[in-house]
Amino acid sequence: MTITTNLAPKYGKKEFSRRHAATNLETVITLSAGAAASIYGLVRRDWFGAAFASGGGYLLYRGVSDLRRPYKGRARVAFTIGKTPEEVYDYVYNPENWGHLLREPMFQVDGAGNVTIRLGRGEEGVEFKSRVEITDQRPGDYIAWASADEMFEHRGVLRFKKAPGDRGTELSIAFEYKAPAGPIARSLAALVGLDPEQLVREGLRQIKQLMETGEIPTTAGQPIGARGLKGTAERVLYHERPAAEMQPQSLAGD
Amino acid sequence: MKALCWQGKNKVDVERVNDPKILNPRDGIVRITRTAICGSDLHLYDGYIPTLEPGDVLGHEFMGEVVDTGSEVSRVKKGDRVVVPFTIACGQCYFCKHNLWSACDNTNPNAWMLEKLYGYSGSGLFGYSHMMGGYAGGQAQFARVPFIDVGALKIPDGLNDEDVLFLSDIFPTGYMAAENCDIKPGDVVAIWGCGPVGQFAIRSAFLLGAERVIAIDRVHERLKMARAGGAEIIDYEEVDDLVEELKWMTAGRGPDSCMDAVGLEAHGTGVAAAYDYAKQRLKLAFDRPTVVRQVIQACRKGGVVSIPGVYGGFLDKIPFGAAFGKGLILKMGQTHMHNYTEKLLKHVEQGDIKPSFVITHRLSLDDAPDAYRTFRDKQDECIKVVLDPWAQPVAA
Ligand SMILES: NC(=O)c1ccc[n+]([C@@H]2O[C@H](COP(=O)([O-])OP(=O)(O)OC[C@H]3O[C@@H](n4cnc5c(N)ncnc54)[C@H](O)[C@@H]3O)[C@@H](O)[C@H]2O)c1
Ligand SMILES: [Zn+2]
Ligand SMILES: [Zn+2]
Repeated sequence: MTITTNLAPKYGKKEFSRRHAATNLETVITLSAGAAASIYGLVRRDWFGAAFASGGGYLLYRGVSDLRRPYKGRARVAFTIGKTPEEVYDYVYNPENWGHLLREPMFQVDGAGNVTIRLGRGEEGVEFKSRVEITDQRPGDYIAWASADEMFEHRGVLRFKKAPGDRGTELSIAFEYKAPAGPIARSLAALVGLDPEQLVREGLRQIKQLMETGEIPTTAGQPIGARGLKGTAERVLYHERPAAEMQPQSLAGD
Repeated sequence: MKALCWQGKNKVDVERVNDPKILNPRDGIVRITRTAICGSDLHLYDGYIPTLEPGDVLGHEFMGEVVDTGSEVSRVKKGDRVVVPFTIACGQCYFCKHNLWSACDNTNPNAWMLEKLYGYSGSGLFGYSHMMGGYAGGQAQFARVPFIDVGALKIPDGLNDEDVLFLSDIFPTGYMAAENCDIKPGDVVAIWGCGPVGQFAIRSAFLLGAERVIAIDRVHERLKMARAGGAEIIDYEEVDDLVEELKWMTAGRGPDSCMDAVGLEAHGTGVAAAYDYAKQRLKLAFDRPTVVRQVIQACRKGGVVSIPGVYGGFLDKIPFGAAFGKGLILKMGQTHMHNYTEKLLKHVEQGDIKPSFVITHRLSLDDAPDAYRTFRDKQDECIKVVLDPWAQPVAA
């Protein structure tokens, strides 16, 4: 992928790591191999054992730092929207157009460039606030941004390109980010559809839906019957808020 | 209101749930006067469609009176009598504008699920699992209809509910399946499955000019209904080799087009069928593709295979070599409902077809749990069940 980060030089001082975040399995294997080797080495109490223990120690160190290492990544997402590039640019450029319309506001931008990103829903959700600077732009063509704080770093480019034929506009985002979450937190988030790429994908999709149809499709608040145990656990997947007023009752035997 | 909810494999219940309300500006609410059980619902009932959850309201073939509309609804008015197509379409995306309505980009709130499975997501459907949108269905007293201006078909006075209800799915589905056969003068069309979809496909094939239709099933009352529609029939349990039989009946040419109106729960005999059944039971496969294999094998060179029957996952042992070797054309998919509703309503108004012919059971919503079983097991000569959500139960 080519992220044109040169469009965002101002806040892009630190290079993002190119090493992929370790998977949970890798981390678990690293940690347990490290622990086993260290214990074996310490028990032997000889030179060979010492070598073993130090190797094990290194693995433990690797594993623990994998666990603590912030999650870094890059992603690209694109949608084709049935409007002209100018219309899409104008719409996207002014987040006041759409920020408040998003059904599950995942990111919101105010006029001063303050972005609020929400992970998780309801009371338990986590909010990251992040200040954003537009680093470069050409109306109807692209907008490049970079975050201006350390906590949650991200930068990227939004591009607007005329799609072939009568297909409208290709709206794409390429971005890099560094989020304060280890691999475990990340895969938990991914499980409920909240990994950064998915977040941005759903955000763009909602913009497409709003622009093309004037609304975002939803089922939140529709009638549902008794969910049972498994269904209740899976509600978060389907964006269902447990509604207090919902008391479905079986009519069997009526 | 009362609604039929799925509660797990082979278990559906009538439950009292909240009434639907307007959630989006282009929604409408319909008070349902008639609703039907579809062969597609049997795939849900039997637990073959993933991401259906206990408590989901089923049903996608319904009609009724509009009782509420959102702020952006203009064409449809309160009091209108409407039939609602089972695929939900926005009317404004690329696909809707190109008449590929069931591929609509903007109506599946859970598009990401289907994207993981199929690469891209089609339109949302009523009452057909969360990956298909998770919309509450119409085997209920009321339903919320998104983009009601785009989909709802207004019904003129003087037509029975029973004669227009099937414009919600099976008539257009049978019709599109027949249209996909690209019927030319003199064509012979072979149709597997004489369920409701097959029945409408038979009649649509004749409307579109087929010379002969050969209908295949093993359930006698269904074969009888097929014959009443003008088809020649084959009871596949009574022939040794179906492909040879069809070759014989077409003097060696083979049917010009072959249609699978059976879908993923095909019944079959022999080793291959037992193998499919075992795989499905072990969750190694969603689908039993007996009929897909047969339609490909039986179709003439350069002919069309049309598949309205529903499939969900990976199909095993498909004779792809035969399809390639004969240069077949394969057409399939969820029906692009919105292309057909107006046109087929005309056919009903002109009396070219009387869709209520297919109904064998008229029951109340409370009878639905039993009706699912009767329909699935083909008991009591059941071919199509229509429910009145406001009537007292028939079986007291
Ligand atoms: N594409 C769409 O948009 C769409 C819409 C509606 C229904 N469908 C699908 O169409 C299919 C048929 O629907 P239906 O309502 O008629 O269902 P149904 O279950 O009533 O009918 C299926 C028929 O196929 C017969 N059959 C089973 N195995 C057979 C075999 N090996 N050879 C020949 N016939 C066989 C059965 O006896 C039955 O009569 C289902 O898969 C349904 O999901 C698709
Ligand atoms: Zn149906
Ligand atoms: Zn659309």
